[in-house]
Amino acid sequence: MSDDMNQKPDTDPASLPWLGRKLLWLDDMKNVDRIVYALFVVCAGLFAADFFYHKHITVEIEAVPGFYALYGFFMCAALVICARALRVILKRPEDYYAPHDIESEAYPEDQLSRKTIND
Amino acid sequence: MTDLFPPFLVYVAGAILLPFIPNGNPRALFSLLIPIISAYLIWFLPDGLHGQVVLAGWDITLLRVDKLSTIFGLIFSLAAFLGLLYAWHIRDTVQQTTSLLYAGAAIGAVFAGDLISLFIFWEGTAIASVFLIWARRTEGAYWTGLRYLIIQVGSGVVLLAGTVLHYQDTGSITFEAMTLGSVATWAIFLAFGVKCAFPLLHNWLQDSYPAATVTGTVILSAFTTKLAIYALARGFPGTELLIYIGATMTLFPIFYAVIENDLRRVLAYSLNNQLGFMVVGIGVGTPLALNGTASHAFAHILYKALLFMSMGAVLFRTGTVKGSELGGLYKSMPLTMIFCVIGAASISAFPLFSGFVTKSLILSASVHEGHYIVWGILLFASAGVFHHSGIKIPYFAFFAHDSGLRPKEAPWNMLLAMGITSVFCIGIGVYPEPLYALLPYDVEYVPYTTTHVITQLQLLFFSALAFTVLMKTGIYPPEMRLVNLDFDWTYRKLAPAIIRRCRTLFTRIWGGMMGASSTALNRGFVALQKAHSPQGSLARAWPTGTMVLWIAVLLGVTLIITYI
Repeated sequence: MSDDMNQKPDTDPASLPWLGRKLLWLDDMKNVDRIVYALFVVCAGLFAADFFYHKHITVEIEAVPGFYALYGFFMCAALVICARALRVILKRPEDYYAPHDIESEAYPEDQLSRKTIND
Repeated sequence: MTDLFPPFLVYVAGAILLPFIPNGNPRALFSLLIPIISAYLIWFLPDGLHGQVVLAGWDITLLRVDKLSTIFGLIFSLAAFLGLLYAWHIRDTVQQTTSLLYAGAAIGAVFAGDLISLFIFWEGTAIASVFLIWARRTEGAYWTGLRYLIIQVGSGVVLLAGTVLHYQDTGSITFEAMTLGSVATWAIFLAFGVKCAFPLLHNWLQDSYPAATVTGTVILSAFTTKLAIYALARGFPGTELLIYIGATMTLFPIFYAVIENDLRRVLAYSLNNQLGFMVVGIGVGTPLALNGTASHAFAHILYKALLFMSMGAVLFRTGTVKGSELGGLYKSMPLTMIFCVIGAASISAFPLFSGFVTKSLILSASVHEGHYIVWGILLFASAGVFHHSGIKIPYFAFFAHDSGLRPKEAPWNMLLAMGITSVFCIGIGVYPEPLYALLPYDVEYVPYTTTHVITQLQLLFFSALAFTVLMKTGIYPPEMRLVNLDFDWTYRKLAPAIIRRCRTLFTRIWGGMMGASSTALNRGFVALQKAHSPQGSLARAWPTGTMVLWIAVLLGVTLIITYI
């Protein structure tokens, strides 16, 4: 979206709340990459942890090293891929049920308090 | 009439007095006092049956006090308090009074000791809550509210039918544990199932909650479905069917949640999934499992309210909660973002957050009873809920691509409500003993074991890893302005289309029949006219000779026949 690109530099950090300014480092893609690397490291550590403690198990499959890690990873990937395939069949335009639905309506302005950081 | 003051009456009295208090801060403060008084009353209610009255020949028990009803009464009071604090800025008298009546009806229902008063409170929650949807005052909300009301009131009607049949079968209207078998118990089970959003009966939930007002959804999220959980836990503990129903409930909404764009609807789908865990707990029915259901309902009401509050704050400031329109809000709404992340961590059952110490009771109970496949499904659903509620909600609202929106932080009352709810979410997770002490059964359960913490962290971090990988590779479905068909399509599109077809068909058949019969009548009249009208063949003056000739022919024929 080109609008976003134009608006981003307009934001004066001074107009942001204190906490927001402290979090601005998240805007830097390099830092986001660092978070991703940190996630990789944590995951590797957690997987390795399975070899260093006595696991109390009730189901045999739990004894497989890294069972929970693999289950979480592959089931989530399967979830997303299935959901994505499902959307091909299930998707309809936003006004499909209109006017009997709120989906394509605007939220009534008089019930909002739309304010920006500059207000 | 009764020896103790039933807590629901506090809400009714409050709702009656409320319009007379100046609208603004005094009225908001007054409404906050109501749940405080009710919690105080509930806390000191002595166990046993109270408020017993005979009404039109029925033995009504307004107050059945035990640990199960008390924990639900307390959490409903807390939810009402937090919801009303979140709605402090609301000046709409309709929403103010109906919120109180709705909470009151729900609390009345959990203390109801008989099926008749349960039915009355059951319908009370339906009627009071629809106003929180209609308060949006748009055409779409009006129609959504109507659908909601029909289904909710319908559930009550089925409950009443079941009650009447149950009375015929047993001669009692006491609301106690039942076994499925008779038509009566099935009807009651179905009524509970509608409110509990069983699979295929669930769509009212995803349809209506995103349609309510900013504050209305927060209040709606607490009561109706958890009342149904209470009713099932009271009426059908240990019903094996519930294990499979619950497992299905945990499973299919997560697929929808992944592709849904309206973030409040994503939360409605994950609410449905969380109810599934509680339903499994009821189905397993052991003390550990029922404790799991009660504690999970308690924790769930809080973190779900917190998530709805944070999305409500975004809606309040930006006018939308569509994932496709949001992103990058963390800079200007950092506190709302943090509260949202706390809610997300709680629903995902991260160690030190509330879901961790409650959901695990249900998983442990199911595995102890040998339901390994169900356990596997619940594990998958746990990872899935982290995926869409834990990551998707905060990610698409507050991070993802920068939408360019720079909304101001939520107003003070919303921040305060979210802050208090967050404290509860973390407090329960860090120090679960006070919650465990409120549970219906005395069961020793230690949530913080090395195995449990590490395996849970593995499950969650590797789910996050899957999200990251799918995001980086572009496989993750982007948020799009779409609606996804769910089972409600059958009654919103298919059934009306069938009815329209039938109408056209019947009109045609009717028209054809009418046409054919009138043609036949016309023909008859024409024939009659031909024969009998003054010019008709029978009315004509016949020449005598012709007559004689015909008589001769007739005579000839007769003679031939006779002599042959």
